[in-house]
Amino acid sequence: MEITLGQVFALLGAALAVFLPGIGSARGVGMVGEAAAGVVAEDPSKFSQTLILQALPGTQGIYGLLTGFVVMQRIGLLGGNLLPLTTHQGLMVFAACLPISIVGLLSAISQARAAAAGVGIVAKRPEEVAKGITYAAMVETYAVLALLASILMLFGIRLA
Amino acid sequence: MAIVKMKKMYLLGLKKDLNRFLDALQRLEAVEIADIEEEEGGSSKIAAEFSDLEAKLSRLKFAIEFLKPYTKEQNPLLYGRPKVSLEKLRELSSREGEIFEVVDAVYGLEQRLSRLKTEEGRIGNQIELIKPWEALDIPVEDLGTTGRVDLKAIYVPKKNFKGLMDRAKETELPLEVIPVGEGREDNLALIVYHSSVRAEVQEICKEFSVNTEEFSGFTGTPAEIIRSLKERLEAIEVERKNIKEEIGKLADKILDLKAVYDYWLLEKEKKENLQKMADTEKIFAMKAFVPENSMEAIKKAVNSVTDVVYIDFVDPTEDDDIPVLLSNSRLVQPFEIVTELYSLPSPREIDPNTVMAFFYFVFFGMMVSDAAYGLVLSLLTGLALWKLKLQGSGKKLVELLFLGGISTFVWGMVFGSWFGDLITIKPLWINPLDDPMAVLYLSFAMGLVHIYAGIILKAYKDVRSGNVAGALMDEGLWLVFLTGLIMLAFPATMGIAKYVALAGAVGLVLTQGRSQKSIIKKFTSGLLSLYNVTSYLSDVLSYSRLLALGLATGVIATVINTMARMLGVNIVGYIAMVIILVVGHVFNIAVNALGAYVHDSRLQYIEFFGKFYDGGGRAFDPLRMKTEYLDLEDS
Repeated sequence: MEITLGQVFALLGAALAVFLPGIGSARGVGMVGEAAAGVVAEDPSKFSQTLILQALPGTQGIYGLLTGFVVMQRIGLLGGNLLPLTTHQGLMVFAACLPISIVGLLSAISQARAAAAGVGIVAKRPEEVAKGITYAAMVETYAVLALLASILMLFGIRLA
Repeated sequence: MAIVKMKKMYLLGLKKDLNRFLDALQRLEAVEIADIEEEEGGSSKIAAEFSDLEAKLSRLKFAIEFLKPYTKEQNPLLYGRPKVSLEKLRELSSREGEIFEVVDAVYGLEQRLSRLKTEEGRIGNQIELIKPWEALDIPVEDLGTTGRVDLKAIYVPKKNFKGLMDRAKETELPLEVIPVGEGREDNLALIVYHSSVRAEVQEICKEFSVNTEEFSGFTGTPAEIIRSLKERLEAIEVERKNIKEEIGKLADKILDLKAVYDYWLLEKEKKENLQKMADTEKIFAMKAFVPENSMEAIKKAVNSVTDVVYIDFVDPTEDDDIPVLLSNSRLVQPFEIVTELYSLPSPREIDPNTVMAFFYFVFFGMMVSDAAYGLVLSLLTGLALWKLKLQGSGKKLVELLFLGGISTFVWGMVFGSWFGDLITIKPLWINPLDDPMAVLYLSFAMGLVHIYAGIILKAYKDVRSGNVAGALMDEGLWLVFLTGLIMLAFPATMGIAKYVALAGAVGLVLTQGRSQKSIIKKFTSGLLSLYNVTSYLSDVLSYSRLLALGLATGVIATVINTMARMLGVNIVGYIAMVIILVVGHVFNIAVNALGAYVHDSRLQYIEFFGKFYDGGGRAFDPLRMKTEYLDLEDS
């Protein structure tokens, strides 16, 4: 079977959707982890609270993987018979991957900043951890919206 | 929705009865004693007693924490805390001398242990130091000078040693260097020379940076020294074992220590409140907040102490700092933590928990949206509630997840998702992967209902505080305007929608600037208020997360299933498949339950509470039987 340029673009989109938010989440989770380790060194009982904060910037990587998976499913990569995509179709899939790829990358890092600051709340006033979580969750909204846009686009594109 | 109505209580009585009053009120756990503003500060006698109490508590705490590793305690999470009656507590605290003897013994043992540890460290260092000299078979006290001959143990930096040896050989001085061994950075040697050439030898020593080892404080050959040091180490080990045995014996007393600790903790709480009261020589006065429905019980408790008492309940005034106590049905209670983590309602507003709980329940399930996940979540949390002795907010959180699991189960059936696509059961309504737009509209619709509820609650709040006009003009007109805009979206209602929306808009333009003075400002700020429609729009769009998170759960579950299925080709593959399925789905449940909790809370805090809720209340904190280690039995 001949490989078309469209297929390459579609796969490139899937790759972007997985690795860009993945990088963002990895950096973000790492940043919060560093801040959290400092607090836990003082008071190990705060581990579970800081762990929740650390998990928050991790979702973008999952959203990215999810989008990549939807692409793979839509273009038939998983079933074994790759659809013969035209260049335009491939570019459309690629475009659909952009929202979560870029927003995922950047929002994970911004969210990590908010979450790391939330770790400061845990250090001084552990009973107020929910407020720190809410601040970080405010950032997450935009990753969710980007994911939604990407997914709706992917389901909307006609490929067959 | 209920914030318990509070009354202000004034209690006047004889000081000699005060302690018994406090005992009775503490048992009731329904009285929060407030500060009576007094000119002078608290009496110094109470302050002294107070610091005495704190010292006792901290000593007891130290002993308890020290003994803890030596006791085999049942995990309080599984078995609950040990139970003890108040009489037993009193009886124990009367044997205080005995208890503090135990504490003193613990302190003594702890000191001995730490002394042993210091000595052990010191001996370790000494052995390290002497070890390289082991080959030296001269008792160290024989080193030095005999009058004619000097005999010294020296250590030389390794890089200088060869030079020193060579020099010793070349020189004509009566001098000999005998190598003994090697340390980490130095060569060790014995140097022998005639006392008459001491000055020259010292010159040579300086040249090669030679140092002398004095072995001060030791006798015998180095090997003997090491042997005796090691014997001492063994003795230390034995002694430590003995001490630990003694500690083990004391560890049986830990329950008594805990009981006494808790007893003094109760006393401390009473003392703390003592400082808030006013008194004369014979009489005390107490001001307190009490829930209205506990008034009778309090009266009864107070009168059971003595008749010589004056008690009065009045309504709190505007500037009283009233504490907040919530009273909700059993089903709503778990959701209280969502509000508590935001802020308690202020004592003069409404408790949002009932309405919030309903939406929280519905949204949680929609965000996780997998029937099997819901079952697993409810089963696990149900098991935890049944088997573990949970308390306080931890218990509420687990209950919240239990209810969330039920909601998840229902939504999962609606969407036909059972472990993603692992088990295929026809959805009751629709699979969101097939028609995401339909579910998106549903999300927006539910968001609208949520937002409307918020606006209506705000109107209710305005009416309650007597601002009926405000309720009609602010919330009422917005509802009309928004409803008109929504109707525009449906062909059937599009015709009248224009007029409804227009009526709302005109009304808003005319009323929203009413606080302004000039007519132009009234008009412009009225017009500008229409701009708020964008904030409502973004609020509604925010509910798209209901769909997005639901999709995320489903697709990740599908990813896990696909990965697992790829492996199911032979026996090993089947095992790997099962492992991937179990680990993957557990991970997915955990991540999505956390996500649902966070995003659901956010929808309540920002989109819902933002419409009407002030918060800022202070939790009711009555004088209570608050213990740290034991549970008190009713007696």
